[in-house]
Amino acid sequence: MKTLRLGLALVGIAAFALPTLADAPAIGAAAPAFELKSVDGKPFSLADAEKSNAYVVLMFIATQCPYSNGYNDRMRDMAAAYAKKGVLFVGINSNNTESVDETAAHAKQHGFGFPVLKDPGNKVADLYDARRTPEVYVVGKDGKLLYHGRIDDNSNDASKVSSPDLKNALDALLAGQPVSKAETKAFGCTIKRA
Amino acid sequence: MVALLLARSVPARAVDAPKLAGEVDAKGLAAAIAAQRGKVVVVNFWATWCVPCREEFPDLVRLEKAYRARGVSVLGVSIDLPKDMPKVEKFLATSAPDFPNYIKRAGGDDQDFIESVDPKWGGELPFTVVYGRDGKKAEVLSGKQSYASFEKAVASRLK
Repeated sequence: MKTLRLGLALVGIAAFALPTLADAPAIGAAAPAFELKSVDGKPFSLADAEKSNAYVVLMFIATQCPYSNGYNDRMRDMAAAYAKKGVLFVGINSNNTESVDETAAHAKQHGFGFPVLKDPGNKVADLYDARRTPEVYVVGKDGKLLYHGRIDDNSNDASKVSSPDLKNALDALLAGQPVSKAETKAFGCTIKRA
Repeated sequence: MVALLLARSVPARAVDAPKLAGEVDAKGLAAAIAAQRGKVVVVNFWATWCVPCREEFPDLVRLEKAYRARGVSVLGVSIDLPKDMPKVEKFLATSAPDFPNYIKRAGGDDQDFIESVDPKWGGELPFTVVYGRDGKKAEVLSGKQSYASFEKAVASRLK
């Protein structure tokens, strides 16, 4: 029976293995450290950002994905609102189909007040096993991953959101409470890997 | 004679254009897959707003034509919103698949639908699930695939 179970487990692993994608860090595990440059040429280090902020929100975003673009205003507004509470929002563009210049122009066009980083060769997307845009990760001061998933449950219409999951997670964390729904999913565009 | 004239005035291609097979929720999709038991079933999730989905779709059309006689069925599931129905119908008319395409029923939490298809699916599109002849899930393919990748996924299950 044990052998059968092991056999089934191995078949399961073989069948669902997604080559080229690393395992996603689990909630409570260390968020992988990285350094990247923002689209305006400034260096960014996650370790430094953790030290100087209560929480860091990493958002894998795109310039051409309708699902990601559906959140442009919400990302801009949330970033501004939570900056006052010590939360730093950071955009990461890992699409090899979208250039630094295009990403910079997109950030400017939508009034992003948060840093937007370019992830050449999608190395950081691989570290986090980020698959889609938008996909967000919340990292605490101790470098642990506290939330992973969607911004909310309605990319199409902000007025019809019934589950503002990222907001709920941040509000809980800022109030010293555990995050009730730490992993969520939504449809999105595949990150265009190199 | 009048009937003949009327009949001739209707463009024939409009009748032949592939239409949506209907709406599905998680349960309906599971039933559609189960109805194909005995075949290798390829379920592809796509959307008109998804560029790599549109790019790989012709390969699924080609795959279905090439492997139909050997026992492969393809099912498409559009994740488009109801407001984009005209785009979905236009896309199907242009790409002319010989396999049924459904549209995901609107409403409910998308997370529940995603999890029901596969717990490993993050919601990224395109996404493809291959089921063996026994109806069991055999492989999942995340992101845009090549024709060779689709072919490899089905061929190994036809042996």
